[in-house]
Amino acid sequence: MTLLEALDKNLIRVPLSSADGNGVIEELVSLFAKERNLSPEEENRIADSIKEREALGSTAMENGIAIPHARIEGLDKSAVVIGISRLPVAFGAADGSGTKVFFLVLAPKDNPSEHVQILSSIAKAASSQLFVRMLLSSKTKDDVYQLFFE
Amino acid sequence: MKVPYSRILVYLDGSEGSINALMYSILLAKSTGAQLHAVYVVNTKALGDLVRSHIFVDQEKAEYQADLRKDASRHIRHAERLASSKDLDIVTEVIDGSPHHVILDYIKAHSIDLLALGPVNVIRSRRDELTSENDRMLRTAPCPVIVVRESDDIWEEFGEV
Repeated sequence: MTLLEALDKNLIRVPLSSADGNGVIEELVSLFAKERNLSPEEENRIADSIKEREALGSTAMENGIAIPHARIEGLDKSAVVIGISRLPVAFGAADGSGTKVFFLVLAPKDNPSEHVQILSSIAKAASSQLFVRMLLSSKTKDDVYQLFFE
Repeated sequence: MKVPYSRILVYLDGSEGSINALMYSILLAKSTGAQLHAVYVVNTKALGDLVRSHIFVDQEKAEYQADLRKDASRHIRHAERLASSKDLDIVTEVIDGSPHHVILDYIKAHSIDLLALGPVNVIRSRRDELTSENDRMLRTAPCPVIVVRESDDIWEEFGEV
């Protein structure tokens, strides 16, 4: 599965309502859990996995994008949940800048190759200043989704 | 270009599509008498890039690299077992690096005259950064390329269904 195949318009939130890092993770995981009808326990397990991974080192880059991620036991296929915040959120970027664009990536435990490929595609897309500017100016989830398919 | 082919290379990436390409290549090699090569590339280029962009920490990179090597070994063993089931010798290798560069170098170094790939993506985006490794190989391989679509017939042929 590629990044484009993993994208789902129903897993995009613009704007995010949370103002802190853990809140953003919980908001994005909650969106995923509702879409996939997960139990509150499963939702908490996923959010905890993401937070534990972020505790090892922030995935925030210096261009306002963060890619929190985790491999999840029992997940049947990869998912990418996108959130865009109107205000910068402190997410641990090395230069102290805030983060506005979040790509939360969840992958099955048993497919490391696919997870690496999806993360790598996001990182490459995020290295384009024009793409990041367009993401930041997106007003709706349709705007964000279309950006990947134009 | 030699027809029929004398050396076929199939690229394994751990996906079901690449297994499909492997099985097709085994049947093709068997019917043409070509030598079959199978290569799994551990994408250490992507792992390094992910560390440089702070998406991976070093510990995570090491874990993924170990998992990718296990995945590679599993797929190579599977390739050897499938080839053996058709009484075909197969040359296998696991190589670290950037998949499309590794495959292009391998084609040149081993005088490969046909590259077999699993499915390539439907063109849904013009963004180059979203191009898959299969797409890159298809566009840049110096030899003919065969793209193997999903087919239940091949799996039945190998008793894999």
